[in-house]
Amino acid sequence: MKTSHLIIASAVAAAIGLPGTVLGQAKAETEKCYGVSKAGQNDCQTASSSCAGTSKKDAQADAWIAVPKGTCAKIVGASLTPSK
Amino acid sequence: MADGAPSPLPTGIGLRARHLEELPVRKPDVGFLEIHAENYLNGGPALKRVERLRADYRFSLHAVGLSLGSAEGLDAVHLARVKALVDRLQPDLVSDHLSWSVTSATYLNDLLPLPYTEESLAVVCRNVERLQESLGRRVLVENPSSYLSFTHSTIGEAEFLAAIVARTGCGLLCDVNNIHVTCSNMRLDPTAYLDALPRSAIGEFHLAGHVINDADGETILIDDHGSRVAEPVWALLREALARFGEQPTLIEWDTDVPDLDVLIDEAARADRERRAFHMGAAA
Amino acid sequence: MSALSLADLQTAFRSACLGSDSPDLAALVDGERIGADARLRIYRHHVFDSLSTALGATFSSVLSLVGEGFFRMLAREYIAHTPPSGPVLSEYGADFPDFIERHERVRDLVYLADAARLDWALTRAYGSDGGTALTAAALAAIAPEALGELRLRLRMGVSLLRSAYPVDRIWAVAHGKDDASIDLASGGVELVVFQRDDDAAFARLTRGEAAMLVACDGATGLAVALERASDADSSFDFATALPKFLNLDILAAP
Repeated sequence: MKTSHLIIASAVAAAIGLPGTVLGQAKAETEKCYGVSKAGQNDCQTASSSCAGTSKKDAQADAWIAVPKGTCAKIVGASLTPSK
Repeated sequence: MADGAPSPLPTGIGLRARHLEELPVRKPDVGFLEIHAENYLNGGPALKRVERLRADYRFSLHAVGLSLGSAEGLDAVHLARVKALVDRLQPDLVSDHLSWSVTSATYLNDLLPLPYTEESLAVVCRNVERLQESLGRRVLVENPSSYLSFTHSTIGEAEFLAAIVARTGCGLLCDVNNIHVTCSNMRLDPTAYLDALPRSAIGEFHLAGHVINDADGETILIDDHGSRVAEPVWALLREALARFGEQPTLIEWDTDVPDLDVLIDEAARADRERRAFHMGAAA
Repeated sequence: MSALSLADLQTAFRSACLGSDSPDLAALVDGERIGADARLRIYRHHVFDSLSTALGATFSSVLSLVGEGFFRMLAREYIAHTPPSGPVLSEYGADFPDFIERHERVRDLVYLADAARLDWALTRAYGSDGGTALTAAALAAIAPEALGELRLRLRMGVSLLRSAYPVDRIWAVAHGKDDASIDLASGGVELVVFQRDDDAAFARLTRGEAAMLVACDGATGLAVALERASDADSSFDFATALPKFLNLDILAAP
């Protein structure tokens, strides 16, 4: 079905005609603060205290000693065991 | 001041993401705010907050990713973005480090050490000149913390910095903690290091905490910016003040960034050290 | 051992930082008191540590879902494989979601890649200049007969995310804002991710709303976009959708 220009125009007119208070109210209901201002940050320390130490070995990329152990436990319907 | 010198700018603090909401509300009485250029290149809410803070604070722009020591030269795209930010914020000071972090378009996110050779000196000077030409202003180059030195280095680090100043007309950011860390790790004399820096080029002091760790069973100091300034670094600040006089001074903290009050308190300590030095100098 | 050129030294240092031993480089490092390998290890550790921390900050849902130990292993592999190509760390990790999707160790956490895509979209929305949003007043200025051909575009930094899983609720659980357990069988979502004055946020869309925005972003005129929306969702109502889009400031000013 071809959407008529009349339908588009009337919907636009209706949206434009909404009072500002209604728009503002809807905004308050639909938006939340997600606090993502901590995305990866550049800093200028040149090392962290764990960088030295007597350990000669790096944590090895192929030594997968860890399994997922986080809030994924609350997500059901998926296995928590990493596949082999 | 008793000696008629202009009243020094109170010590500043490094602006970190976790304080972005608190600072505009509290407006603590610190001398200036220093931001890392790479965290504000995109625009968006973080930059808007910083721009609003400009009504109350002076700013210093500290870049950490220009990679002034890269043999391949400066990244034109990154340079243009930093220039746009400098033009937008008009900071009092602009700085980056005597180090490198980019090679073959890979960014390694560390302030990596250079061999101090004539070849490196030519590379760094070319990059500093290009940066200053692009920004249309003088920049400050900061001495890094180092954990190694190269056997083929032919120039001392302080002398290398002095040569950059002589060839490019740039200034120096004297990171007092980094001098302490590097000199301890390389068994150098920090007062001799200070003596070798060109006095008139110093344009800022940095202060931060380090941690004492070990490698191969030997003590090594790690510049983690995760604690208060250590006593030997305060002592070295007094030595630096005696040589270079009053400079904009900054407290940096990057690891486990504490409450804003801790930074304010640390800045107040720096102010006491600086005042005590002035009283002594005036007496 | 003759000295390397600075360019070769930096190439070798890059390899050393990313995990390969480099005897040529080690031979140039003064090993007095502390050996060259131990000194180089400090830099290698810091490169991985700091980049892993940066990825964890950007992909905070993934970090929470799998826990820190597992996340660092994922990050370590990713960093070695795809180190940053530029110096802005909030821009690092564009293909981390795809890396997760392909990674066999997390194949059973089927929703994890979409959680990463939402993290990435939020970070992009936050780190965007944003531009100017379309307003009702700007729409009112357009002649009614021109509306059918009007090309609405998403505002800079706004993105659409379709997931077969309730990834918005998964985000809430990962960030401690929802304590309920989530059944993946409860169905997928269409999300729009956008910037707010001081933050970034997301909101659910109906299938029709999402289809309309996808069409608009594909540079079709409004009339065609509305047809696509109705085809995707017979209950689509433009008169409801338009005020919602205007409220969220997700459309760009013409």
